[in-house]
Amino acid sequence: MDAGFYLQLLLNGMVIGVIYALVAMGLSLIFGVLEIVNFAHGEFYMLGAMLAYFLTMNMGLGYWPTVGVVTAVAVGLGYVLYEALLASLQGGGFERSILLTLGLSMVLQNGAVFLFTTTPRMVQTPQSYTNIVVGDLRVTLMRVFALALGLLAFAALYLILYRTRVGKAMRGVAQNRDAALMVGIDPRAVSRLAVAIGIGLSGLAGAALAPVYAVHPLMGFSFVFKAFAIIIIGGLGNIAGAAVAAVALGMLESVIGGFLPLVMVDALVFSSMIAMLLVRPQGLFGSGVRV
Amino acid sequence: MTPGWLRALLVLLGIAALFAVPRLTGNEYVLALGVSFATFSVLSGGLNLVYGYTGLLSFAQVGFFGIGGYTAALLVTEGGWPLWAGAASGGMLAALVGLVIGYSSLRLSRHAFAIVSLSFAFLCMIVARDWVSLTRGAMGIPGLPVPVLDLPGLPWRLSRPADFYYLLMGFAVIAQAVIYVVVTSRLGRAMQAVKLNEALAQSQGIDPLRYKLLALALSALLAGIVGGFFVFYLTIVDPSIFDFYYTETMLIMVIIWGPGSFWGVLGASAVLAALPDLLRFTTDLRMVLYGAVLIAAMLVFPGGVGGWLRRRHLRRWRRPSLAAP
Repeated sequence: MDAGFYLQLLLNGMVIGVIYALVAMGLSLIFGVLEIVNFAHGEFYMLGAMLAYFLTMNMGLGYWPTVGVVTAVAVGLGYVLYEALLASLQGGGFERSILLTLGLSMVLQNGAVFLFTTTPRMVQTPQSYTNIVVGDLRVTLMRVFALALGLLAFAALYLILYRTRVGKAMRGVAQNRDAALMVGIDPRAVSRLAVAIGIGLSGLAGAALAPVYAVHPLMGFSFVFKAFAIIIIGGLGNIAGAAVAAVALGMLESVIGGFLPLVMVDALVFSSMIAMLLVRPQGLFGSGVRV
Repeated sequence: MTPGWLRALLVLLGIAALFAVPRLTGNEYVLALGVSFATFSVLSGGLNLVYGYTGLLSFAQVGFFGIGGYTAALLVTEGGWPLWAGAASGGMLAALVGLVIGYSSLRLSRHAFAIVSLSFAFLCMIVARDWVSLTRGAMGIPGLPVPVLDLPGLPWRLSRPADFYYLLMGFAVIAQAVIYVVVTSRLGRAMQAVKLNEALAQSQGIDPLRYKLLALALSALLAGIVGGFFVFYLTIVDPSIFDFYYTETMLIMVIIWGPGSFWGVLGASAVLAALPDLLRFTTDLRMVLYGAVLIAAMLVFPGGVGGWLRRRHLRRWRRPSLAAP
């Protein structure tokens, strides 16, 4: 057990944490703007990974074009999702939105099981077995790409939220719906964009992780389980909190996973969510919630 | 409106008819449908108490069901406990767990509760599958023994399907009676007040958290006990007891006619318990169908079919008369 081993675990954890963050930030963004918990969020991650699999393995597309196409498709799906289903909820229907997205998740997940069976598939690319070696550390190129994509998406989301008018509008709606409406922000346009970005991030996460892990129709469900814990730990609707919690969780999970069975890691994720709710219900970075 | 005595008579006749079924037919298929109905009616009745009456969307019910099943199975096989005690302990453990997750998440919001309850159900399945030293992993605990219930006077060996029919139907009747008494009492009205307007309920001296936790603990207790009985009917308990299929089925039972309607949920449970066997789909397609039903119900009938009919009736009633000059 030397320091290199720990560093290796931490690095792997950071990659997976950044990908968790992509999914969790989208979930948190949608919750913040629409007050909807998207239970189908993990299925879009799964669809992204499946699409990436078919684009690379059946169409022979390269890594970067695949990522681009998958993200674009996911953004489009986000628009469709909002216009077809979520727009009709018109606020005030928290339970309805959950049941609706849960139904969607069931349709997508079991439809995918029916069409593609649960057999895990591996995405093989020419670079699959390329490693980057720095000192004692050894990382596959695909993980480095996933990390880079994740960081790129962080930066893009930050720029959209804090450097554009529409980002400002989104933050406005998240802070105070009524006040945003009063100053002339169109909640529909803002919500549509938030859902598109959220789903797009989820699809991107799927495409980025497809070459690292196996792809199968049930991958979204277990993934979103962690994303839920992350957005509660980071504070519901708090995007930066979700990102920090996700990266921390990924690293923690990787380090603990080096020593303990996997079930302990999942139990740890759940108990840290419960502990956070008991000690700091507003989440790590929340600014006070009355309980 | 049917008078009270007539209604009570109808209910008694219905219960008598249910208990007469095994005497009239030895058909195991009919008995299996009855057992399925009895089990699901307890699960959906509990969910109706939590969601329909108190307004908390919960996915944890299947977790309580499975915790009851595993606890009873382990206590009976490893500890040599009688089935009564095993199932009762399962129910109490489920209620305790329900209080823990309810207390921690409900202080924040209903949103947090919905998320935590789903994560909880998922965690239960992972623990059952991977904590091999306790739950024996994915293989589960097969070959549960024929239980003997020590009724006063004579021991009752539950060896035939009809015995389990009596046991589960009997418990279902007790559970439904408990739920009915709760929802028609002061407790039930307080729960409905919490659902309709929490702030207003609070201003009337109702402590929302207390009633939410009460509904949750009671539904968990009932689900845990019925889980304890049900696994002995199956003679095996494995991680599939936490399957999402149960959650979806009971959710649809509760929302299809109208959450918060005692008889509506009971009727929907009877229909839907028989339905999967009538529609012989593969499991995946059935889940797709259930998902589509959920989406359609939320888009078209947010208050259930019953709620939709009532609203339509009211609208027709309020329509201004066309005959006016």
